[in-house]
Amino acid sequence: MNAAEELKQAMPAAVVSTGMLIDKPLAIIKKEEILKAAGKVKEMGFDNLSVITGIDYRDRFEVIYNFFSYKKKENLVLKVVLDHEAPSVDSVASIWKVADWLERETYDLVGIKFTGHPNLVRILLPDGWNGHPLRKDYDMETEQFVTMGEDGEDIVSTDGSNLLRRR
Amino acid sequence: METDELLLNMGPVHPATHGVLRFKLRMDGEIIRDCEIVMGYLHRGTEKLGEMKTYLQFIPYTDRLDYLSAMPNNYAYVKAVEELADIEVPLRAEYIRVLTLELNRIINHLVFMGSLILDLGANTAIMWGFREREKALQLYEMLCGARMTFSYMRIGGVREDLPEGFIPKLNDFIKDMEKRIVDYEQLINGNEIFLLRMKNIGVINADEAINYGMTGPSLRGSGVNYDIRKLEPYSIYPDIDFKACVRKECDSYARYLVRMDEMKESLHILRQVADTMPAGDIITTQKYGIAPMTGAPSAVMTYFPRIFTPPVGEVYTRTEAPKGELGFYVVSDGTTKPYRVKIRSPSFCNLVALPKMIVGLKIPDLIAAFGTIDIVLGDVDR
Repeated sequence: MNAAEELKQAMPAAVVSTGMLIDKPLAIIKKEEILKAAGKVKEMGFDNLSVITGIDYRDRFEVIYNFFSYKKKENLVLKVVLDHEAPSVDSVASIWKVADWLERETYDLVGIKFTGHPNLVRILLPDGWNGHPLRKDYDMETEQFVTMGEDGEDIVSTDGSNLLRRR
Repeated sequence: METDELLLNMGPVHPATHGVLRFKLRMDGEIIRDCEIVMGYLHRGTEKLGEMKTYLQFIPYTDRLDYLSAMPNNYAYVKAVEELADIEVPLRAEYIRVLTLELNRIINHLVFMGSLILDLGANTAIMWGFREREKALQLYEMLCGARMTFSYMRIGGVREDLPEGFIPKLNDFIKDMEKRIVDYEQLINGNEIFLLRMKNIGVINADEAINYGMTGPSLRGSGVNYDIRKLEPYSIYPDIDFKACVRKECDSYARYLVRMDEMKESLHILRQVADTMPAGDIITTQKYGIAPMTGAPSAVMTYFPRIFTPPVGEVYTRTEAPKGELGFYVVSDGTTKPYRVKIRSPSFCNLVALPKMIVGLKIPDLIAAFGTIDIVLGDVDR
């Protein structure tokens, strides 16, 4: 029995289905149950959260968590499916510290809200940036200009009015 | 006496931040009370670019993530695509790949050593590091014509075969390097000032390090016996004799020593690979490949199509890059371009732990601890 089936046995209400991602056990989790499932996964010995990936499938979003256990030397993949309007899911930053930045990055680039995150602000792009670049409907045509304000904050505009110009 | 809390800005343009990284430090006198990291100054949207290029066109962009170790980046990406499309790689290609990967590990750790000690105030070490690095770069130049951005890996193999006289030159390099490492250890490891700056600085224990997502040599410096080359063996690593270098001290000095030991292990691997290099194809001829052209010179006998479509699916692969776990999550929708490329970069995740390491220390200790995490900003910001 692999780790995904073990999780399904422990929490039948939370796991929608199990399968394989090439060679890694995969469990699809109900969106509301992710925090509980993550707690269980941590109990099962998966101490390393390797990466969080957000994917825009045009009709839905998927958030994928890759875990690894240093004790059992096993992989586990959790997947959550979110609706395309206002995607949001519970944050797991309280369990794995690395999730703090990984979730901020996913919020920044894909635009998925992680409820309960201690500091959900943009991490790679400047504050005030318009849109989330890794969404499929991201506007690639409009240019955005970034300058630094007096106190080091970022100022973003789409017409370049914040740039220094010689009169 | 009570002192006011001071907000101190460090970076984005600061020689010790190895690029453009900004620290916002809350200082109580000389003691760091809190550290906030601001990044993104080098963000180039590599993941978005991945969605707009064909599978082969994306390889040069991976060079520019961690520009000090471009080969492992190339490799991690092509490995993900190969796993997705289930492509068999010829044995000779795998040997050449491991040769370039381990050579790159040495280059990376030489720059690490030089820049760390430069940050600590000794100017000569970076000259030693760059002197040896130059020789390794000349080997790369022989191999693929480039010195930093190689784009040498191809899906299903490598771009070119080893040139004539490469293996003897490599053997010279290994022989020279083995002596140099002994020199470095004699010059650096016992240095009193160096020890004072490194020992018991930036301590993080194993459980915390795992929870903060640290990987690679930085995690092995905290006593976790792990190496993806050992745990999930890929390429020809199962047939090669080497060990994962681990130290138990959890401090900056341990992380430094792990990297010095790794250089020796890499030399050991290089020697084995150079001695047992098999003959054969350098790129796959099966499945997506086209049958060899008749009468063509050997280098172009095999040919992998420039535009190819892997089957629908998704894959996450992890490799042991010099800085830690480098993973690629590639999703294919059955067209010529990836639907999504997610890069799990080691530098980004290792940096999460830095504030935890340095709170309660002074600014020079921040520089020392930061140097031993060994990040490259191209890899953090992507």
